[in-house]
Amino acid sequence: MKYIKTFLIIFSFTLIFIFLNILFSPKYATNLIEGSMISEYYDEEVPHDVIFIGDCEVYANFSPIVMYEEEGISSYVRGTPQQLIWQSYSILKETLKYEKPKVVVFNVNSMRYNKPVSEAYNRLTIDKMKWSKEKIEIINNSMLKDETFISYLFPIIRYHSRYDKLTKEDFEYLFKRKKNTHNGFLINTNVKPYTSLPSKKILSNYSFSDIDYSYLDKIVSLCKKNNIELILIKAPSLYPYWYEEYETQIQEYSRKNNLQYYNFASISNEIGINYNLDTYDGGLHLNLSGATKLSKYFSNILKENYDLIDYRKNEKINKIYQKKINMYYNDIRY
Amino acid sequence: MNIFILIFSILIYASFGIYNLIYILLSTLISFFSAKTLKKSKRKKLILIVIILNILLLLFFKLYIYNNFFGIFEKTSIIVPIGISYYTFQIISYLIDVYNEKIDAETNLFNFLLYALYLPYLFIGPISRYSQLGNQLKKKKKIKLENFIYGFMRILFGLFKKVIIAQRIIVIINYIVENNFTGSYVLLSCLLYSILIYCDFSGGIDIVLGVSNLFDIKLVENFDSPYLSENLKEFWKRWNITLSNFLKDYVYIPLGGNRVSKIRNNINILITFFVSGIWHGINYILWGLLNGIILIIENNKKSKNRILNIIFNYIIVSLLWIFFIYPNSIEALTKLSTIFYEFNYISLFKNLFIFGLEISDYLILIISIVIIMIFDIKKLRIKEEIKKMTTNKKIIIILILFLLVITFGRYGIGFNVNEFIYSKF
Repeated sequence: MKYIKTFLIIFSFTLIFIFLNILFSPKYATNLIEGSMISEYYDEEVPHDVIFIGDCEVYANFSPIVMYEEEGISSYVRGTPQQLIWQSYSILKETLKYEKPKVVVFNVNSMRYNKPVSEAYNRLTIDKMKWSKEKIEIINNSMLKDETFISYLFPIIRYHSRYDKLTKEDFEYLFKRKKNTHNGFLINTNVKPYTSLPSKKILSNYSFSDIDYSYLDKIVSLCKKNNIELILIKAPSLYPYWYEEYETQIQEYSRKNNLQYYNFASISNEIGINYNLDTYDGGLHLNLSGATKLSKYFSNILKENYDLIDYRKNEKINKIYQKKINMYYNDIRY
Repeated sequence: MNIFILIFSILIYASFGIYNLIYILLSTLISFFSAKTLKKSKRKKLILIVIILNILLLLFFKLYIYNNFFGIFEKTSIIVPIGISYYTFQIISYLIDVYNEKIDAETNLFNFLLYALYLPYLFIGPISRYSQLGNQLKKKKKIKLENFIYGFMRILFGLFKKVIIAQRIIVIINYIVENNFTGSYVLLSCLLYSILIYCDFSGGIDIVLGVSNLFDIKLVENFDSPYLSENLKEFWKRWNITLSNFLKDYVYIPLGGNRVSKIRNNINILITFFVSGIWHGINYILWGLLNGIILIIENNKKSKNRILNIIFNYIIVSLLWIFFIYPNSIEALTKLSTIFYEFNYISLFKNLFIFGLEISDYLILIISIVIIMIFDIKKLRIKEEIKKMTTNKKIIIILILFLLVITFGRYGIGFNVNEFIYSKF
């Protein structure tokens, strides 16, 4: 009897502790919604032939719904804020546990970073990931000096100071998720035209680091092993600057590895992007109008060059996509 | 278990720099062999030289920390060994006790290393005597549930004081110091510093005692509700007890203690507090001497009203902490003087919420301080009650403390939780 009591005490405490961990974790439902993007993927009901991995330049610039409407391509953007290349690699590995896409699109912007940059960005990418070998990998590779693994395992260690900042959202989304993206695409309808940008900094070294190359090699080999076509892209953006030296290195790499590489930043005129209308932050990211143009342009490339299924002809999947399309336009309207 | 404790201590010590380890190992070996030689040959001179050498080295490091030994050395040329003050006093107490034939010299090097290098107390104390600890360290350790329960309870109680109370008060004090406030703000910082240093130091000691308990080692207590003291003499019997006892046994009594003339006794008190000041650091000599002077003036007198005595003594002790808030003695005295002529109390009341804490922080702080006060007042009774409790009830207390510490503690990125005020001495 004594031991049953002890067990019940420890069990009840464990439940309270788990509950507090969930309660104190940010829900990313209405505030900092970028933090919820990684987990929305787990609710997907349709297969995806195209998976995007990379930073904000993918989740702000490519709309899978437009690509579906345009060519019937089923795609998903597994982008997160300032997703670093080792994070992209692990997220791709995780994705392959759920499905096997035909094409993986990697935005090379993260090649410029060779070490973790910010704890806040780490959290937005990692917090809501399901626990897996890949999540452990990402945490270990991304932690900054002051961070601890245990604070990812038990979020209360990181977020305990929220005890006086809890809002209705924290209780409302205790055990459910709010859907904020459309297949990983984050709608932004604001318009903030390009006016000026900070002057171009001269860097001491323009070479991508060994660590970046090693992870790019890993992504290439993972795709090869799974018979997936890997496409490298550089999304349109005026800032941060994509230096000539960066471009040369990526071109060289894609040539050596026989990869397709598209620099959409250099052909933004051809795509029809107007930085007076198609950006929500003065040229850093595209808004809905810009993303629609880019998504249409890219879906045509994909349709022409890759053997992708037109899911509009699949009744079951099309039905699900129609619901997604309705929600998409509903969100645009409001 | 003993081998594990020793290896663990050495590894952690070495992680702070290999020079730390080399110094402490060399010093320990010299002390061990000099004491052993005494046992064999009765040559007391050698042990005396080692004692003096230890004192000189400690003085050297204290002076070096103070001003790089008057600028002779480069700022980074010498690494001050971690825990040097605690380590040296422990070794000195051992050597003097062997010298005075109060204890037998340890003949087993492993046992002596265990005593000298036992990690938990090297950072913050308590200063443990070989006579109290030697046999405990030598004996075979038992893994007992009761030890774990008491150990974890003590560790969590220490963390409660450190991360819930001390980590909040430090915000207020830092704000007052950084913004160069004077008058009533300085008074507030002194009154709060009393609680801060108590929760920080005794919290750290609780953790050390708790961890030791896990290893079946019972260290001596270092505090006995010090702020319930009615005068300064009583305070020093209840505050940092192991240091006070060390100074009493190895400085005050050898000087003649109170079995001498009144004047000589007063000089002995002043010398003892002077040594206490130096042990804390050169900057704290004035603080030590002022403690001695007030103690002499008080002459163990107190009024009949216990509460008034406690409050008065609390204020005296708090004002003396000014030398800890402002380690530069001249600045400390200047700030202290503003309390007596700058009556900016209205400004203080208006600005009570500018110190960087939220209202919820103040609420948590007040409740937690009240809990600690109740614990200090009813300590014996509470300890008895806990002793009588069933294991399950004790587990519940541990779990509640754990939840309180983890939820309301101020720790994580941007906080220096592993820095204790007394670990820098």
